[in-house]
Amino acid sequence: MNLRLHIWRQSGPDAQGMLKTYDVQNVSEHMSFLEMLDVLNEDLLTKGEVPVAFDHDCREGICGTCGMVINGRPHGPLTRTTACQLHMRTFKDGDEIYIEPWRARAFPVMRDLIVDRGSFDRIIQKGGFVSVNTGNAQDGNAIPISKKDADRAMDAAACIGCGACVAACPNSSAMLFTSAKIGHLGSLPQGQTERSTRAMNMVLQMDAEGFGACTNHYECEAACPKGISAEFIAQMNKDFVASAFGGRD
Amino acid sequence: MKAFGEIWRSNIFQKWLMALTGLLLVGFLLGHLSGNLLVFLGKEDINSYAHGLHTMGHGMVIWIVRLGLLSMFVLHVVAAITLSRRNRAARPTSYAKVTPRRSTIASRSMLYSGLLLLTYVLYHLAHFTWGVVHAENYVGQPGWQYTLADGTVVADVYRMVVASFQIPLVAVLYVLAMVMVGLHLNHAIASAFQTMGVTNKRIVPAIRSIGPLLSFIIAAGFSAVPLAILAGVVK
Amino acid sequence: MALNSNIPDGPIQQRWDKHRAELKLVNPANKRKYSVIVVGTGLAGASAAATMAELGYNVSAFTYHDSARRAHSIAAQGGINAAKNYQNDGDSVWRLFYDTVKGGDFRARESNVYRLAQVSTSIIDQCVAQGVPFAREYGGYLSNRSFGGAQVSRTFYARGQTGQQLLIGAYQALQRQVGLGKVKLHNKQEMMDLIVVDGRARGIVTRDMVTGKVQSHMADAVVLATGGYGNVFYLSTNAMACNVTATYRAHKRGAFFANPCYTQIHPTCIPQSGDYQSKLTLMSESLRNDGRIWVPKQKGDTRSPDQIPEAERDYYLERKYPSFGNLSPRDIASRAAKEVCDEGRGVGPGGLGVYLDFSDAIRRLGEKTIADRYGNLFEMYERITGENPYKVPMRIYPAVHYTMGGLWVDYNLMSNVPGLFVLGEANFSDHGANRLGASALMQGLADGYFVIPYTIGGYFANGGLQAVGNDSQEARTAVQEAEQKIAALLALNGKRSPTSFHRELGKIMWDKCGMARNEQGLKEALTRIPELREEFWQNVKIPGSGAELNQSLELGLRVADFLEFAELMCYDALQRNESCGGHFREEYQTEDGEAQRNDDDYCYAAAWEYNGVGATPTLHKEELSFENVKLATRSYK
Repeated sequence: MNLRLHIWRQSGPDAQGMLKTYDVQNVSEHMSFLEMLDVLNEDLLTKGEVPVAFDHDCREGICGTCGMVINGRPHGPLTRTTACQLHMRTFKDGDEIYIEPWRARAFPVMRDLIVDRGSFDRIIQKGGFVSVNTGNAQDGNAIPISKKDADRAMDAAACIGCGACVAACPNSSAMLFTSAKIGHLGSLPQGQTERSTRAMNMVLQMDAEGFGACTNHYECEAACPKGISAEFIAQMNKDFVASAFGGRD
Repeated sequence: MKAFGEIWRSNIFQKWLMALTGLLLVGFLLGHLSGNLLVFLGKEDINSYAHGLHTMGHGMVIWIVRLGLLSMFVLHVVAAITLSRRNRAARPTSYAKVTPRRSTIASRSMLYSGLLLLTYVLYHLAHFTWGVVHAENYVGQPGWQYTLADGTVVADVYRMVVASFQIPLVAVLYVLAMVMVGLHLNHAIASAFQTMGVTNKRIVPAIRSIGPLLSFIIAAGFSAVPLAILAGVVK
Repeated sequence: MALNSNIPDGPIQQRWDKHRAELKLVNPANKRKYSVIVVGTGLAGASAAATMAELGYNVSAFTYHDSARRAHSIAAQGGINAAKNYQNDGDSVWRLFYDTVKGGDFRARESNVYRLAQVSTSIIDQCVAQGVPFAREYGGYLSNRSFGGAQVSRTFYARGQTGQQLLIGAYQALQRQVGLGKVKLHNKQEMMDLIVVDGRARGIVTRDMVTGKVQSHMADAVVLATGGYGNVFYLSTNAMACNVTATYRAHKRGAFFANPCYTQIHPTCIPQSGDYQSKLTLMSESLRNDGRIWVPKQKGDTRSPDQIPEAERDYYLERKYPSFGNLSPRDIASRAAKEVCDEGRGVGPGGLGVYLDFSDAIRRLGEKTIADRYGNLFEMYERITGENPYKVPMRIYPAVHYTMGGLWVDYNLMSNVPGLFVLGEANFSDHGANRLGASALMQGLADGYFVIPYTIGGYFANGGLQAVGNDSQEARTAVQEAEQKIAALLALNGKRSPTSFHRELGKIMWDKCGMARNEQGLKEALTRIPELREEFWQNVKIPGSGAELNQSLELGLRVADFLEFAELMCYDALQRNESCGGHFREEYQTEDGEAQRNDDDYCYAAAWEYNGVGATPTLHKEELSFENVKLATRSYK
């Protein structure tokens, strides 16, 4: 199939960017979306042009490195599918495809489709952990954890930190990402000791990074390649307000 | 321990304030609506109700309620504007193409429906509370009194309402405003519970369906009065 | 140079305890005077950096990813082994040790493996305490499953995302130390070289992948946890960025590279669909429990699978290995698939695939049962291939997915260059010639959480470290050399892309040094690789400059190192005149086509010393002794 791509090109963090149009020919339907971009890049390179920079690594949908907004949807049209797992059979001959980077003040564009997601790491640094030094641990079976709680923790922990939730949110809010970590640790007995301070500190850091607020559109939940529920956002809201009034932070 | 100022300014706390004040305002609307519907019972009921409101606790109660409403309104609007500004700042460059999945017209237009409602509320107060617009229909007109069954002479609110809504433009304006209320609440009610942190698996789905239903009832209920008057059902 | 593996003496059960008791300590107040560089933030690197920071050392951690959470440890699906014996099924430290030595085809160091089995239980405890959501039974206790190569249930798991959850646990521990200011984390930095001063590893040279700045970082010790080199084959199940540069640069600075030819091939991967293919995807081996593997009997049979009658199908694993059948071990199943495809009986695009057919199982158990067991795998397969495996047989083909070889280390995980420690897949130590399933995660975390924090203290406490700064001659030279190399690469402005060279190298390696090797093929590879390298250095084209985010340059630098390293692999495969584990030499097989080990002549770890680009490396042997597990031949007939 032949396609027309409109790709955001920006040579550096401070440079002015713009959409540029590329035509790609003879795209196989078995290619992954990123392989289609690989082919375009090989072509650009041999023609002496600078290839399109985009983030990717495992190409198995688990590392969370890849991410681009494809036709107005983070990771593209399929649900629960990262950009690297999207295949060209989803498109048809003659399609026009818009490819843009995640858009958020807290995710500055580094080049073309690559953004800096360091803000996510800084949110985790404020409390996305259990403070247990190596060697402190008691036996793994010492505290039974109900299957329900373990499953719920896993539902939240499945987050791959890709940032699609931020990209999908009309407010560039990081509530789903942050709440997934708060929800993961808050569902387990190990996470209770620091529950109050965790919610307080992570939320304030999220604000400091310049992410927007939640207006409950649930675009994040719909865009999340791991299907993380916005219910965790409600949980985080509760934990935060409880912490604010509980004064235990 | 974090200073309360920092917590107050946080996005979630501002959201929480909006949700709380919003839900209280919805509670007020329900009260207001049940009062309005007295129009359908006749002059006696609505006029005695209006008189009761103004004289309860030697006229103190209405001022306490008004003050409460005002502060809720101010908190709600200030938080909305603060958050909207932050939300815009959070995305300095917009997408060339956006294809929403889950958001609705209601959710995306909250700021606009809210701002329109703000203007409407001012108009509504100017109309029925301050009597500065359509003053010819205001209860302050000489002779616009009504004598209750117990002999008390009170302002004839019924006549004011009927006279106002017999003007087609006014009735249509009010109905349009109520469409706006419905749109705003369609998203707002369920959203407020999410923001307040309700996660119960049995309650959440219920709220998500009750929210839009309630918003429809409120909008339809309020619209019923001007529509009935315009249609001549209530005279 | 004699290799001293520093193995403690005494009974194997007591060696680690004894060693820990004898290691000198650094007192808590002095720990902050020592600095450590950790390169790589996967399971081994993140756990090591976090734990050493907890102890009080000043740690600088480096990753080429945009976040420490992205390392390829994240992709491990199956689980992590630990000798907890929670299932009361006869597991023990001894049995895990035994299984690992045997699974490694008797080419691992016994003492290291025993220690690995010992600390495996603490790993689970630590991870649970961090909040890793391991699967639980209804009673609230940890759940286990069994895994290949073991007769007990000792594998802990978190859905199909165990690697991800363990990595995030380590990542969170690391981020906690970053927040506390004990770890300085450098994202988007690629290691370009190792700095050796007075014979000790004292620093690294990095390139900032955003600004292009090349600079040196100095410390008292350097820890490499930079993963494996499977991408030398171009197509593998490794992530796109996985590379050999860090370990190979250390090798060029004097560190010995051990057993580079040991590579593990996984039999159940989704085959290549075209030339544009960028990587391969692995599917859990559990599929072989219910799927039957076959190819047409006739060469070049292009009929669709449902048109091929039963009599014209060759269920070759069932035919050759009647007792294990479709469940034959990874290496055997992989080689058998290659064989039938080489005969021209392969299926799918390019004839590189065999059928994995569930139709019998669906008839026997019903579609619902199969969906319950493999639903998510079938979904993944359909997402990638567009074919519905409930209706059409899956196509599978083997792919490279783990490398057992790595930098040579002693019992302290220190290489022959003092002060250079190597952890996880990057070292050679624990898996011998073949790794068992669910053991990679175990080794990465054992090294990082429970070994290096002790042994690095022993190194520091022995003293003798002088202050060395970024202005030292060695640091400045190393930075200059890295800058020159980058400039040279950019100046070539040839005609071919780095990827095209990588792909070509991968094809040579897969054909000549892949699943099955022979002397002639390896010698051929040893002529073709230098030719390709020469062409690379004349004809590669890298657009853009060095002073910006330049993905072509990143790839070019990595491919340049693969082009040198590939030769080392072939030398190693050529000298090892036997077949063992992940190394199969066609000349050395039994009449039935089984791997034939030669314990008399090759019971050693081959540690190679670098002698210059294109020069034959020098082989050093570490003899392996098996005092606790008797040397025996594997049989799966």
